[in-house]
Amino acid sequence: MDLVKLTIDGREVTTTKGRTVIQAAEEAGIAIPHYCYHPKLAIAGNCRMCLVEIEKMPKLQIACNTQVTEGMEVRTQSPKVLQAREAVMEFFLINHPLDCPICDQAGECWLQDYYMQHDLRKSRFIEGKHHDRKREIFGPHVVFDGERCIKCTRCVRFLQEVTRTEELTVVNRGDHSTITLFPGKVLDNPLSANINDICPVGALTDRDFRFRVRVWYLQKTPSICPGCSTGCNISIESYQNRIARFKPRINEEVNSHWICDEGRYCFHALTEVERLASPLIRQEGGLVPTDWQTALGTVVSRLSAAPPAAGVLSGRSTNEEAFLFAKLLKQLSPQARMEVFYRERELTEVERILKSPDRSPNFRGIRDMGVSSDGGFEPLLRELAQGKFSSAYIVAEDLLAQFAAGQELRDALAKLAFLVVQDTHLSETARLAHVVLPATNFAEKEGTYTNRKGRVQRLSPALVPPAGVLQDLEIFGRLLSLAGAPSAPPNSREVFSQIAREVSRYQGLSYERIGTQGVQLET
Amino acid sequence: MEKILLRNVDAPESHTLAAYRSRGGYRALEKVAREMSPARVIEEVKASGLRGRGGAGFPTGMKWGFVPKDSPKPKYVVCNADESEPGTFKDRLLIEKDPHAIIEGTIIAAYSIGSHTAFIYIRGELAYASQVLQKAIDESYQAGYLGKSILGTGYDLDVVLHRGAGAYICGEETGLLSSLEGGKGWPKVKPPFPATHGLFGCPTVVNNVETLAALPWIIDQGAAQYAALGTEKSKGTKLFSVSGHIRKPGVYEVEMGYPFKRFLEEDCGGVPNGRHLKGVIPGGASMPVLRADEIGEVRMDYESFQAAGTMLGSGGVIVMDETTCMVKAAWNIARFFAHESCGQCSPCREGCHWMEKIFWRVENGQGESADLDLILNISGNIMGNTICPFGDAAAMPAAAFIKKYRAEFEAHIAEKRCVISASG
Amino acid sequence: MLPVLYLAQAEFGYLGTDAIEYVAKIMGVSTARVYGVVTFYTMLNMKPIGRHHIQVCRTLPCALAGAEKITALIKAKLGIDAGETTSDGKFSLLEVECLASCGTGPMMQVNEDYHENLTEERVTEILQSLK
Repeated sequence: MDLVKLTIDGREVTTTKGRTVIQAAEEAGIAIPHYCYHPKLAIAGNCRMCLVEIEKMPKLQIACNTQVTEGMEVRTQSPKVLQAREAVMEFFLINHPLDCPICDQAGECWLQDYYMQHDLRKSRFIEGKHHDRKREIFGPHVVFDGERCIKCTRCVRFLQEVTRTEELTVVNRGDHSTITLFPGKVLDNPLSANINDICPVGALTDRDFRFRVRVWYLQKTPSICPGCSTGCNISIESYQNRIARFKPRINEEVNSHWICDEGRYCFHALTEVERLASPLIRQEGGLVPTDWQTALGTVVSRLSAAPPAAGVLSGRSTNEEAFLFAKLLKQLSPQARMEVFYRERELTEVERILKSPDRSPNFRGIRDMGVSSDGGFEPLLRELAQGKFSSAYIVAEDLLAQFAAGQELRDALAKLAFLVVQDTHLSETARLAHVVLPATNFAEKEGTYTNRKGRVQRLSPALVPPAGVLQDLEIFGRLLSLAGAPSAPPNSREVFSQIAREVSRYQGLSYERIGTQGVQLET
Repeated sequence: MEKILLRNVDAPESHTLAAYRSRGGYRALEKVAREMSPARVIEEVKASGLRGRGGAGFPTGMKWGFVPKDSPKPKYVVCNADESEPGTFKDRLLIEKDPHAIIEGTIIAAYSIGSHTAFIYIRGELAYASQVLQKAIDESYQAGYLGKSILGTGYDLDVVLHRGAGAYICGEETGLLSSLEGGKGWPKVKPPFPATHGLFGCPTVVNNVETLAALPWIIDQGAAQYAALGTEKSKGTKLFSVSGHIRKPGVYEVEMGYPFKRFLEEDCGGVPNGRHLKGVIPGGASMPVLRADEIGEVRMDYESFQAAGTMLGSGGVIVMDETTCMVKAAWNIARFFAHESCGQCSPCREGCHWMEKIFWRVENGQGESADLDLILNISGNIMGNTICPFGDAAAMPAAAFIKKYRAEFEAHIAEKRCVISASG
Repeated sequence: MLPVLYLAQAEFGYLGTDAIEYVAKIMGVSTARVYGVVTFYTMLNMKPIGRHHIQVCRTLPCALAGAEKITALIKAKLGIDAGETTSDGKFSLLEVECLASCGTGPMMQVNEDYHENLTEERVTEILQSLK
């Protein structure tokens, strides 16, 4: 690799040949303001915000399109540069509506941020402002405000280069230029909402998130998307213990800067449910609340009394949970068969850019933890429907809702000697249970997922579970104790340490090593 | 002075192959084909001192020399016939009256860089000129000057005529290439430059009509003959389009270095109707205007115009007499640039319209005292900060009008009306 | 792209959304891309224009030669403003930028034909000949 030495603002910087000034500066922790430049999109060079001074060049140069050369001297803060930057800011703002108080981008708007840094002066523009389309619906997730748009074309380039769906274009010329769809078209490709993320201003905003929370109130938690086994890195952004939105978190090994729309909005279905507030137990006339001790005791005694047992774990369960679940089921019912929920669907070409065909983000890790017999999930389900099991332990999957033609399954579940369902809410499947254990969702727990390609990544709790429920991990731990097994470690981190000792492929791993970017398992 | 570029335009049926050949046409091509290697042609053009006639004045031979010789990609020559600079109509004359000179020049350029496909990008509005040119191309194919194995040399070249569709920016060479590629005429960020990454990402030379039309004479008569004309740095002859308040408007061929004042007063007959000269734009609407009192010593070459604070540009000479309102003239040009800004980069997109709006206010009695300095400031903020030279082209005339005629602008603001009675 | 759009415009009269969809299909590109191109160039029309499309140059050299009077006369004669089409669809009028005819201004282009060195009398004659 050829290295190049240059100075930026008097600091010596070493970088790789072929890099641009803006990249070299970023590596050195020097932020050069920009709008149109995006590391994953072709260089447009249109915003002119990243103009810098380069020794021996008479004109200012855009840092995004200037490759570093040996001995280059770059100035990003010289009076000439600052003046050009102020000028560009002014050009962007003359026709801008300055409607920050009602703009959803406020607080994460690059116009606001750079104005605070570079302009901060009174407008000299006394002409009538140019008008453009307001609140135009581009698609199910995207709404457009033409007056706030700075024509950086990030959205256009994303749709040309990443999805290759090309729904948007710039039409007209001069200050009549505007971003638009072809008449009659809808922007509904499976990655469409990413353009809201990359829009540096309030021109494209997220219809789902719009006006829900001012962004400065959001609490951000790094985690993993529970939508499928790609394991896209996300930031869970929450407010008052509710998820407000997912944002992609950059991980070049997994999802780069993007997430798919299905993943982005999957938290609604997974978290916005009527939560169970205590364990339930079946009595004459139906399910009634009970205490944890009774519920857990009943599970241990009745499950071990009704072999063979079938165990179904949700694909959203963590490795740590799966590790304990496998131990638990073997302890209670030595002939038990268990599988992680797994089903595939057809994906379109654009979906395949990010999405995996399943909805089980951790199917691979769960199998690694020993929750897998030979046959896989479908045969287990068939046998369950055929009445080949006497008892079952189903975690966080509403099997009846998943399988519409499930009369046979329904009858079979109803006939089981004992059925325990562990979930966040009273699902269709849970209604058939003898014991229902209220547990947590993906956003409430700590743990790890192993994605389809074998990358171990960390989930972090963004929300506090409601009163009356227990963490899945704690439920399994308490059941193990009741079943007479050696006591399980008290928390996820320590369970993972045990995994790292006992599961050969995970040897040597720790939460610290996994960090925020994950660790790839050796194949 | 012997005419080089206009040597044929007054001949009967000058646009036909027969007329062109009878006047020595395609002799240069035969010489090139039989006697000269591509490298030799480039040397000859370098020796002639020919500089690009589109406006920038870059040495033509040097431009060709930037094209990589060992590129595995196809190479292209593009003739820029998108003549759109206000005040300029010289290329149109050449296309309509001497199309074969352009074609011959295009073939010579293509041969010298090893290109086998050349495009002539003509502005869409020039329908008649397009027909003439296409007919000439067809004739040229039939005569064996184009197509397979030109003049039996084994060298192949196709020339494709492509019409624009109405956009000044397509005269900027990378805007032209974007348009030719099938897109909007958006100029491209540089680097890379067209010589290495031009049309469809391939090495490309873009030359103006007038530049290419000069080549046959240079090759035929020899570089030394051409270099003997003009000044030390501005060689040969240049076409000037003259319009506005002038007795004899039209296209003139002038030896570089010719006195500008004499040109206007004697060759062009001076300002008519007994009026006086107020100002003149020497190089097309994108160049700074000169006041009447500034032209005395100016000579018609790149260096002299530059020394006078303006540029030779496209050689579009727009003459304005004392009845002209310079505020309205400045607004007219600002409106042109606002209308033609491609809208891609922020300083030009926003700045051109802003300046146009301010000029309009001043002309219409709504000017404010801060407006003039504001325009100077906006123009300074555009200059040098845009993707392509269009930004400078819009900024330079705006600033020049204010600097040169400040009192007239101030009077408009003070009296809240146009102080010049006649229209301009 | 432009040659195909010219053909389509000749065939359809103007480049409406149907024509753009058609061009996109045969060129194998997105409708958005074609739409962007069509709106960029002044000679490509998304709406029908008059049978006689009159474009008067308004740029400085023609303005110095009296283009404003010519435009005003045409507006008065046709009863339309720039950018409009007569109700019978016969004439449309546009003020345009420089058409490379500066030495022979004022000038106008009617469809593809240039009319130069215009006077008010000449314009009147031309308009009559077009009726």
